[in-house]
Amino acid sequence: MKNRFIVILLTLIISVVLAGCGQPAETGSTESVQGAKTLILGAYTTPREAYGKLIPIFQTRWQQKTGQEITFEESYLGSGAQSRAIVEGFEADVTALSLEADVIRIKDAGLITHDWQATPTKGMVSNSIVVLGVREGNPKNIHDWADLAQPDLEILTPNPKTSGGAQWNILALYGAARRGFVDSVPAHDEAAAQAFLSAVLNNVTVMDKGARESIITFEKGIGDVIITYENEMMVGQQNGQKYEYIIPRSTILIENPVAVVDASVDKHGTREAAEAFVDFLMTPEAQEIFAEFGLRSVDPAVAQATAEHYPPVEDLFTIEEFGGWSQATPTFFGDEGIFTRTISQLQRRS
Amino acid sequence: MMNSTKMRWPAVQPAPAAGMWRRQLLIGLVFGYVGVLIIAPLAALISGAFSEGLGAIIYALSQPDVLAAFWQTLFIAVIVVVLHTVFGTMMVWVLVRDHFPGQRLLNALVDMPFAVSAVVVGYMLLLLFGRNGVLAPLLAMFDIKVAFALPGMILATLFVTLPFMVRELIPVLKSFGIQQEQAAATLGASGWQTFWLVTFPALRWGFVYGIILTFARALGEFGAVLVIGGGIQGRTETATLYIFRALDERMYVGAYSAALVLGLLSLSLVLGTELFRRWRE
Repeated sequence: MKNRFIVILLTLIISVVLAGCGQPAETGSTESVQGAKTLILGAYTTPREAYGKLIPIFQTRWQQKTGQEITFEESYLGSGAQSRAIVEGFEADVTALSLEADVIRIKDAGLITHDWQATPTKGMVSNSIVVLGVREGNPKNIHDWADLAQPDLEILTPNPKTSGGAQWNILALYGAARRGFVDSVPAHDEAAAQAFLSAVLNNVTVMDKGARESIITFEKGIGDVIITYENEMMVGQQNGQKYEYIIPRSTILIENPVAVVDASVDKHGTREAAEAFVDFLMTPEAQEIFAEFGLRSVDPAVAQATAEHYPPVEDLFTIEEFGGWSQATPTFFGDEGIFTRTISQLQRRS
Repeated sequence: MMNSTKMRWPAVQPAPAAGMWRRQLLIGLVFGYVGVLIIAPLAALISGAFSEGLGAIIYALSQPDVLAAFWQTLFIAVIVVVLHTVFGTMMVWVLVRDHFPGQRLLNALVDMPFAVSAVVVGYMLLLLFGRNGVLAPLLAMFDIKVAFALPGMILATLFVTLPFMVRELIPVLKSFGIQQEQAAATLGASGWQTFWLVTFPALRWGFVYGIILTFARALGEFGAVLVIGGGIQGRTETATLYIFRALDERMYVGAYSAALVLGLLSLSLVLGTELFRRWRE
């Protein structure tokens, strides 16, 4: 009896000591250099190359302006996963996610208290569109959404529960069908659009956790078609990948938000630097770098200057097609949502 | 004294000439099985790592974030091994030498990490230590960070490695029996003296194997530390998390060579112990 008590007591003591000793070591390291600051960036997976180039430039600018050295800690996860991590206590100072809904989750948790959409771009830092990636030479003859429903096709798209890109993909596909850009689906016919969604999802063989993992899977030779961001395909091609991509006649405009997380910056005393970083991302200089890495600029002048790499889309629609994220999320990805129902029906059948 | 704890292989029976081809077939089959399962992937990994030459490997492995990730992994593994050696010994002692209500439950709980997916472990810890977790108010009061910090990653690794030390030690302690301890006691040894001079030496190979397995498992942990740590570059990134990130960034040489180092580390631990054991006997 006595022994057991001692064991339990010791376990408790050790766990407290352990928790305690990890903490000072960490805060100590960030504060040890006088005047040095650390910004924590919690981002989604696809713009990591762009941030790899943007961060060093901002560090130089910040040092020139304030004489302060600034270091960055970066984390890249699927947009939904990253958003949940921040809500669970990952203290990111700045968050750059795939979609507005994931920032709203952080705001709803009370961690973002300012009006983050009170900017000329409504809080958006970059745009992209949903495209179809195919193998070199397009051996399966894919030209538009309608071709994805053919039998014996292997399609990759990430999991909408963890990946923001995946939600854009589903909405692009569904929206194009509903707007009459898939031959077998009459315009405004919800039932036919759902049947088309089901037919395409039936061809999906791998659902990765994030857009980047999905494209890496595609690069390993799995799948005939990948539904993904335009910028993912362009960055892949810049890295020597031989795949091609097709811009469907009708697709959705992807709008990626960025926001300062108030709770984190107030705790870390990094508000000034965090806000300066977000402001920097909106400058033409930074916007040109986003454009270099395949993202369509939110700055009209930069967008015009880089237009040759970004062909216009015949029928480009936005999230407003679905009444904004506040409606699109429950309608498609909620427990009774269209996507959720369709995928569970397919799983039950197989 | 060692005989009681050492496994004895039965002597090989000379095969009759007629069964010769059957024996060769069996050996070939076993080699093929191991080859496909272990040697082929290992060879692919080696060729991937060396695809751009040794210089590229050295460059990739000497990057500060890679070094930080390996230090993080080693630090966690060492802490975990030390804690499991201390608490594992206590646990084995009460499980083998004591009888108390709830003993069977405790015994079964030790095996739970074998059955629970590592990712689930990470989420369980988040539910406990996350911002909305059960212990969140307590942690906030003392400004202790567990989730998305080192303590959480250590706890996660402790969880997944729990059974190894205990399961190595229990059979050894059981088969050792209590006669020698009783003899020591009748000769006037104190409890501690008996433990250090009689019981502990008898358990030493159990400890060695327990430590090796715990260490190797801690090196390789991925899912639990990803969920609880968040994979922040240079802060909560272990070697396995670095490999995961490097693949996402298309830094294949970095990913493959880090994987190779981890694999070789585990392999040399296991082989090293085996050689050491033979040399000792």
